[in-house]
Amino acid sequence: MYRDFGTILFLVFMGIVLIYAPLVIQKLLAPNDPNADKLATYECGEESEGSAWVQFNIRFYVVALIFLIFDVEVVFLFPWAVVFNELGLLAFVEMGIFLLILMLGLAYVWRRSDLDWVKYNVKYGRGRYSNLYKKSQTIKGS
Amino acid sequence: MSNLESLKFFWPELILSATALIAILSDLIYERKDSHKVSFWAIGGLLLTFITIRLFGGSSINGLFMGTMALDPFSEFFKILIVLSTIIVMLMSFNSSELDGYRKGEYYTIMSIMAFGLVMMTSAIDVLMFYVAIEIVSIMSFFLAGYLKRNPNSNEASLKYVIYGAFSSGVMLYGLSILFGLTGETNFFAIKNAISQLGPDSNLALILSIVFILVGLGYKISAVPFHFWTPDVYEGSPTSITAYLSVAPKAAGFALIIRFFNIAFGSNSAMGSDEWSSLNSLPWPFLIALLSAATMTIGNLVAIQQQSVKRMLAYSSIAHAGYMMMAIPVMSQSGIYGLMIYLFMYMLMNLGAFFVVMYVQDKFDGENFDAFNGLGWKMPLLGISMTLFMVALTGLPPTSGFVGKFYIFAAVIEAGNQYYWLAFVGVINSVVSLYYYIKVVRHMYFEGERSDIVSLPESKLTTSLVLVLALPTFFLGWYFSPLVEWANNSLNFFLGI
Repeated sequence: MYRDFGTILFLVFMGIVLIYAPLVIQKLLAPNDPNADKLATYECGEESEGSAWVQFNIRFYVVALIFLIFDVEVVFLFPWAVVFNELGLLAFVEMGIFLLILMLGLAYVWRRSDLDWVKYNVKYGRGRYSNLYKKSQTIKGS
Repeated sequence: MSNLESLKFFWPELILSATALIAILSDLIYERKDSHKVSFWAIGGLLLTFITIRLFGGSSINGLFMGTMALDPFSEFFKILIVLSTIIVMLMSFNSSELDGYRKGEYYTIMSIMAFGLVMMTSAIDVLMFYVAIEIVSIMSFFLAGYLKRNPNSNEASLKYVIYGAFSSGVMLYGLSILFGLTGETNFFAIKNAISQLGPDSNLALILSIVFILVGLGYKISAVPFHFWTPDVYEGSPTSITAYLSVAPKAAGFALIIRFFNIAFGSNSAMGSDEWSSLNSLPWPFLIALLSAATMTIGNLVAIQQQSVKRMLAYSSIAHAGYMMMAIPVMSQSGIYGLMIYLFMYMLMNLGAFFVVMYVQDKFDGENFDAFNGLGWKMPLLGISMTLFMVALTGLPPTSGFVGKFYIFAAVIEAGNQYYWLAFVGVINSVVSLYYYIKVVRHMYFEGERSDIVSLPESKLTTSLVLVLALPTFFLGWYFSPLVEWANNSLNFFLGI
């Protein structure tokens, strides 16, 4: 039994060799002559600007999470719909409960105004949205 | 038993999940300033759950949901423990000023979902269900640890918790997959049958999988090599959540460890008689004994150096996990019911201690030992209760902590001379722990100026909650036979498919 693992060890070894061999070969053969254009990041022909390590607005992640609600829903709905005739009423009720709970999630983000991109009621906004809260307060007051 | 038939034995869990849904629905309707009212729905639902657990109690039904869950007195005991501690922590959160300025509706919703996961953990008898339950609990506790989102410490706590949690549950999954590879089964009983047919050749792989699974379970109960998250998470989380994390997930984790190891890796006579041994003479009891000794020693030694009471209590909860783990390797009924009694006492005294810390943090703006200076004179009720909790956590006689420790040590001694060393380590550690627990008492009574103006906490709820936790802590030290009887009756696992 233990001898069978020899094959696996050989595969692991070959895996390592197959990765490093081309790298070593090209290091030996290829000419090394860098210049500024060659080292620049390729961005569909556009000149790249700034670093890729910028901070993204956290609301992109919120939108991704909202997307997941519908994504998961569809993933579960497809197999259910395919065998719907054989499963009958019980499966229909079960799916109804499932959808109800998922829709509760949608109602939740809606009520929390996470579906609005520009938020007027955020107290701690920064940058160009920072005065919106004050503005909305003055509009309400007037 | 098919899924639909199982539902009628599943009322407590169904009510708990309905509670979570109703809580979040009501939070959608309430305005921001009324959001704390969600707690009424949540506590009402939990009380209803408590009643249904009692109503459906006493029966032993196996193989619910196609053999993935069990309903038995053992899980019932832990369910009651978990629901009780959830209710107490929700009541504690009412007066927590840390949570002011945050929407509290989600807080109570997440706590009820977490209670649901914990309740599932206590009755899982299938590896898949066990993993799903652990993940429900983990993900909800990540949320709760980071609930104070404008407080960097809380964010740090949440992030550390996520990283450690993800890593250890990954390792645990690897262990479970090795186990599945060896046996081809996911049900605990089927795993046992398959293991007893394996030859000694596979013992090495089995030990490997046991160690990996212990990583995940040890993380849940914060046993020593996997405890590094505990102090930081406990310090950064809202204090009410710290109290919750130190009690409820630990109780459920121990329930799972007892069930999993005794069913899957114990000999056939498990729970049937008072003597049983590990399957194929795998050395897992010794492994857990070793972890237990390391857990209590390191927990106690590091607790001595702490400046913050919250951090000290975090390390002390690690030490207590060590004491409780002593009861698992002895593999006797008295060990397991000693652990159950200890957990009940531990719930009362630990929640109480954290509640006083929370109050002091709110009122005197600090969680260091210095914040406690003169508290015993200013607020005699809190001073006396805190002294009681500290004495109980040490395990000194007139309190319930002594009873819990007594049963565990008795079980360890009963198991014969192979575990005398473990009892010895435990006793030495109890003595060491006296130092840092009494330090709190010293600060309350002998440091700072003595004031003659005596006051009670302003809120009636605080006063009554302190009393609710302190009185049983005291009186269960004198009259504990009902609890012992209850634990003894709850010992029945269900034994076969």
